[in-house]
Amino acid sequence: MSSKVELMAPAGSFEAMIAAIQGGADSVYFGVEQLNMRARATMNFVIEDLPAIAHLCKQSKVRSYLTLNTIIYDHDISMMKVIVDEVKKAGIDAIIAADQAVINYAYKQGVSVHISTQANITNVDTIDFYSRYADVMVLSRELSLNQVKQVCKAIQKEQIKGPSGKLVEVEVFAHGALCMAVSGKCYLSLHTQNSSANRGVCVQNCRRKYKVIDIEDGHELEIDNEYIMSPKDLCTIDFLDQLIDTGIKVLKIEGRGKAADYVKTVTACYREAIDSYYNHTYTIEKAESLKLKMREVYNRDFWGGYFLGREIGEWTNVSGSQAVMRKIYIGKAVNYYAKTGIAEFFLEAYGLKVGDKVMITGPTTGVIETVVETLHVNEEGAKGNAEKGDYCSFKTNIQVRNSDKLYKVVPSTIDEKQLAN
Amino acid sequence: MTTVIFRRKKCIGCNYCTEIDPKHWQMSKKDGKSNLIGSVDKKGFWLLKVQDNEREHVESAAKVCPVKVIEIRD
Repeated sequence: MSSKVELMAPAGSFEAMIAAIQGGADSVYFGVEQLNMRARATMNFVIEDLPAIAHLCKQSKVRSYLTLNTIIYDHDISMMKVIVDEVKKAGIDAIIAADQAVINYAYKQGVSVHISTQANITNVDTIDFYSRYADVMVLSRELSLNQVKQVCKAIQKEQIKGPSGKLVEVEVFAHGALCMAVSGKCYLSLHTQNSSANRGVCVQNCRRKYKVIDIEDGHELEIDNEYIMSPKDLCTIDFLDQLIDTGIKVLKIEGRGKAADYVKTVTACYREAIDSYYNHTYTIEKAESLKLKMREVYNRDFWGGYFLGREIGEWTNVSGSQAVMRKIYIGKAVNYYAKTGIAEFFLEAYGLKVGDKVMITGPTTGVIETVVETLHVNEEGAKGNAEKGDYCSFKTNIQVRNSDKLYKVVPSTIDEKQLAN
Repeated sequence: MTTVIFRRKKCIGCNYCTEIDPKHWQMSKKDGKSNLIGSVDKKGFWLLKVQDNEREHVESAAKVCPVKVIEIRD
């Protein structure tokens, strides 16, 4: 049997990167400052982080890829070269690029290139074209399963090989946000806010409500679904077997702007689904239960994207996330007692009680989820609950670090007010 | 006098300020970010005083900046 497909997870911060590794990713991708499609995200890394990222990933036996996939202007060339040079020096495994300037320079420097979905690859001849430069290529998100299959078959048949001498590997997006524009080439944000999606500063106006107004008589037309430009999130977990059977080699999860707990949950679900595919325990029931699990974190509801060959997209019917669970910040870690596996927290915002489901996140800790079994409060010893302003401790069994954040995980229907009562 | 404050570190190099107000802005070929011509660096905030009759120009640059890192103050 051929080797397993690679599971690639997004990382917008060290916290999310650790979370991806904890979730069982085979590889992670991330951006630095300017030239990437999430330039606005405050969570971007800086160039100086590259050695630490390379070290962390090598230690965890996870491959690391840097996205450098915006459109590139003349004034960006020097910076682009600096980034590629630093990628090479630090030992990051590859860069993900769409602009030919980046592809060409990285190739000449001997840095592995993945062709980004922004390059909009939809046929095998384009694969052939890019095979002079790249061993891995992300297909356009608009292809059907059948089209993906044909591309993979043709690579085999025509023996299209990348610079490494191996057959070109096809990568597809398996999960995460979709947008209404073909391969993300959207100018809506630029037109309305002067904020180009193709420079990584999309303001996501497609996610808002709109009305259609007849200019001549001023009538506002009602549309059944008001979020007509905002597709639901892509989710392939319930037909993952068919997706893997197309011959793809890499499954990518979208979400460099997402929080660490999202990355861990979604990565872990796809890890389980992929593993079960290979050990023949993948069933539709399992897929459904994993899908349910993913509904706990940020989502705009799910659909199968264009893979299933539908004529029209499925649009969201509410604004923002439809996650069934949410996390509420309650305090921070102040101590960890390694011998006993007990962590101490200061409850800055809300109280905590025995039986609460909690999550602890931090740049070295990643994401820990646990349930409070016993609670020690201040100097008073074991108690059923701790109030805001208290110091409390409970068993985490996994090391936490000072200043790690403690969250309570509650159903989305519960708001802060109810929590305070 | 009008003061232009530019948080250069957050610039994403989109080029709009230089298009709309080339007298005060220039793209750096070194790092792909914009330079506020003649400004002084005060701990990451690049400051430039301009005459009031130039306010309109610098304001137009502040307005088009997608990441809002240009601020105009009296």
